[in-house]
Amino acid sequence: MERISVHQFITLGAAVLMGTTFLPVASIVTGVGGRDGWMSVLPGFALGIPYSLMILSLLEQYPSNNLLQISETLFGKLIGKLIGSFYILVAGYLGGLLLGQVGDIYQASIMPLTPLGVFYLGGIILVLLLIQSGIEVFARFSEVIFPLIVIALFLNIVLSIPRIEQGELLPILSEGFKPILVGAFKVMPFPLTYIIFLAGVIAFLPTGEKELKQLKSGVWRVVFMVGILDMLIVIIQILVFGPTETVRLVYGLLVLGKMVEISRTIAGVESVFLGVWFGAAVLKIGSLFFATNWGLEYVFGLKGIKWRLSLCVVFLGIAFRYVRGPSLILEIGLVDEYLIMPFVAIWIPALWGVAHWKKGVGIGRKETRSGGKG
Amino acid sequence: MGSWMKMIKELTIRPKGERKIRKSPSYSFDEDLNKPLSGETVKEILSKSSDVVFREFLLQGKERIPCMLVVVDGLVDKNLLDQFVLKPLMVDLVGHPELAQVTLANVIDKTMESLIPGIEVKKISKMGDAVDSILSGDSVIFFGSLTEAIVVGARGWANRGVNEPIAESVVKGPHEGFAETLRVNTSLLRRKIKHPSLRIISLKLGDMSNTDLVVTYIEKIASPDIVSEVLLRLSKIKMDSVIDVGYIEEMIEDNPYSPFPQVAYTERPDVLAGKLLEGKVGIMLDGTPITLVVPAILTQFLSVNEDYYQRAMTAILSRFVRYVGSFVAVVAPSVYIAVTTFHQEIIPTDLLMSISAGRQGVPFPALLEALTMTVVLEILQEAGLRLPKPIGQTIGIVGALIIGDAAVNAGLVSPLMVIIIGLTAVASYAIPYYDLSLAVRMMRFPLMILAGILGFFGVAMGLYAIAIHLLSLRSFGVPYTSPVAPLRIRAFLQDTFVRAPWWALKRRPQLMDVEEPRTNGKG
Repeated sequence: MERISVHQFITLGAAVLMGTTFLPVASIVTGVGGRDGWMSVLPGFALGIPYSLMILSLLEQYPSNNLLQISETLFGKLIGKLIGSFYILVAGYLGGLLLGQVGDIYQASIMPLTPLGVFYLGGIILVLLLIQSGIEVFARFSEVIFPLIVIALFLNIVLSIPRIEQGELLPILSEGFKPILVGAFKVMPFPLTYIIFLAGVIAFLPTGEKELKQLKSGVWRVVFMVGILDMLIVIIQILVFGPTETVRLVYGLLVLGKMVEISRTIAGVESVFLGVWFGAAVLKIGSLFFATNWGLEYVFGLKGIKWRLSLCVVFLGIAFRYVRGPSLILEIGLVDEYLIMPFVAIWIPALWGVAHWKKGVGIGRKETRSGGKG
Repeated sequence: MGSWMKMIKELTIRPKGERKIRKSPSYSFDEDLNKPLSGETVKEILSKSSDVVFREFLLQGKERIPCMLVVVDGLVDKNLLDQFVLKPLMVDLVGHPELAQVTLANVIDKTMESLIPGIEVKKISKMGDAVDSILSGDSVIFFGSLTEAIVVGARGWANRGVNEPIAESVVKGPHEGFAETLRVNTSLLRRKIKHPSLRIISLKLGDMSNTDLVVTYIEKIASPDIVSEVLLRLSKIKMDSVIDVGYIEEMIEDNPYSPFPQVAYTERPDVLAGKLLEGKVGIMLDGTPITLVVPAILTQFLSVNEDYYQRAMTAILSRFVRYVGSFVAVVAPSVYIAVTTFHQEIIPTDLLMSISAGRQGVPFPALLEALTMTVVLEILQEAGLRLPKPIGQTIGIVGALIIGDAAVNAGLVSPLMVIIIGLTAVASYAIPYYDLSLAVRMMRFPLMILAGILGFFGVAMGLYAIAIHLLSLRSFGVPYTSPVAPLRIRAFLQDTFVRAPWWALKRRPQLMDVEEPRTNGKG
């Protein structure tokens, strides 16, 4: 069975958690929290920590099993399969929508005349290549791409510093703490989408005592690293555009890229930046494709290239269904808030609670070990 | 068969399951080989070849024993044979008390013990061994009707000598290179690593060519898993002849359909020694100066031995130039196409005007322009490579200056395109390994087409696809993109994009899971 190292878990986790969040995050939190919106980012992301730790605790108890297998073990086959089916639907649907976002962003920003289908096809081909190569290669891909994303973001932030308007962040906390808490609530779906992937990928993680400790500290590092980066992105956008414009510009970071100019030699690096963003999008869609694929494999026993190709068709179908910007963004928001958030918010604590209760009674471990790997 | 099996079994840590090991390759005239060994049968088998010499003589011992020395003309040192084999047996020892005791029953033992003063003398009793030895350049002496014979090692043939390799010349460092003779090559390696843990395992490949091959590694440094995998893959090679290491390379690499080289090579003993000290395995073949080195990783193809002979700062700068050059060689034409076709906003207005003026009157789109120029460049490179050196240089100059200038004057291509293609050509020469340079040349075409159709989206897509392909490659179980992905932090920081000073390079690069200190007496 394929395995990924602790370091790969950290970079893969960071890449998936960050995914494509750095584009809409500023608009989302500023829309709720105004000029204090940047303070919502870190608390919102921090919510991912207890969920991740619960999952790693389940990994300790049920090594080499994913949460779908553990759900079947703990809740019974019927409920387990129901959870699995919902998991497949949610992951697949969001993956398809994000694929749609690739085309939407490219067409809206730099290539208005190119047909949308070309972008969808390009994205899904890369995702399929990654899926066929396996989780190890996917993890290695994240090891290469994530540093590029971070460098691109830092460059975008640093090169925008000359355009900062002083005083845009002031006065601090003029509306009190309430908008910050609401903003954090709006950010919550981001880490919870990561949890969807984590639920499946734990089967490939090392299970030694030392490694488990490293994985747990790795989760903290992942969340804080991504949270701080996203927070910096929000701050720079508020400082450059002001709160009102930040809310209006859904993909404000691209606009920042367009404004970059280095010594009258290179200008408008938006298209280069989009190349890096495309890598991040492929990672995010890939993670959801993996999740859907694991779901099909473990819940319904559907394996192989035939089913993966079918999944590609489904992803493309979903991408084509929501053609343009506003309706697509609205749909992604709805899926995040009304499907993923409640599902993960209930599923993981319930699973963790039952596992610990059974462990206390002393029946959990034996059942799973005899149950095999499904 | 026994030797292959024994070696693989000895070196394998994990049980490998059922694996079929091919018989040790040997002379294939099976019927003749099954006959008992005798001078007459050997004469029957080899007498049709005019280069095989059968020298018959009488040994004046207690009995008169008819003897026959069989050699291949041109593969033996005749002076050596005359002086240390024929002269003692036929002239010097006649009447000597030692020779006077020799009978047919004890002739072989007596000859080996006291009559022939050579180093390489051994007894054989199989027809296959006799024929193999003769054809490999050894001399075999048959005594009367005995079914045993003596092999005397007196090989000697014309060879090129130890010269500096043309493809791997250095400014600072040793100037000796491997030759076409295997034993010369192993001796050059032995001179670099004078340690008992250097293993040199001799094998034979090719049913007809019977080519000598050597697998070399340093025990305790090289991973036994990798060594056994090398031997296993070599044992599976079933070919009539193995003329060059290229035959072996294709047969043992992990992904034969990849354009990227997965087996490194060198013509230099110092490079091979360095690689063996890093835990790699060398494969040397008789008849070629090129030695294969496995496992190979991508970054290794962008390093040269001189990196380790220069001061660290100079080496870092050289490597940086090589990495930049490789990147430029891959993406320069496609970026130019993407920018001029789709993303003009990235270029400042003044530069854009200048580019636009240059392209004025060019009848082709940038994609076609770049593709044509790149194809012309490839033709020029290929033509220059195959022609004799002085003509090749002329072709290069004619191609680059005259054709390029004429094309610009005729308005067929823009001046900037000529610059871009020229830059790409120069940048690709910064890649030290020819095989990687070829792979880069191959990658350029799909990237240009993607850039022409989809702009930066296409370039990004192409580069990610290449990255995924590279990340999925392995060479003898070692990830091809190691130590970048999977990240091996020490190797990454010390000897990948930069080369740390020697005093900081305290550990060997981690290929598998074991990381050995460089100075613990193990290598």
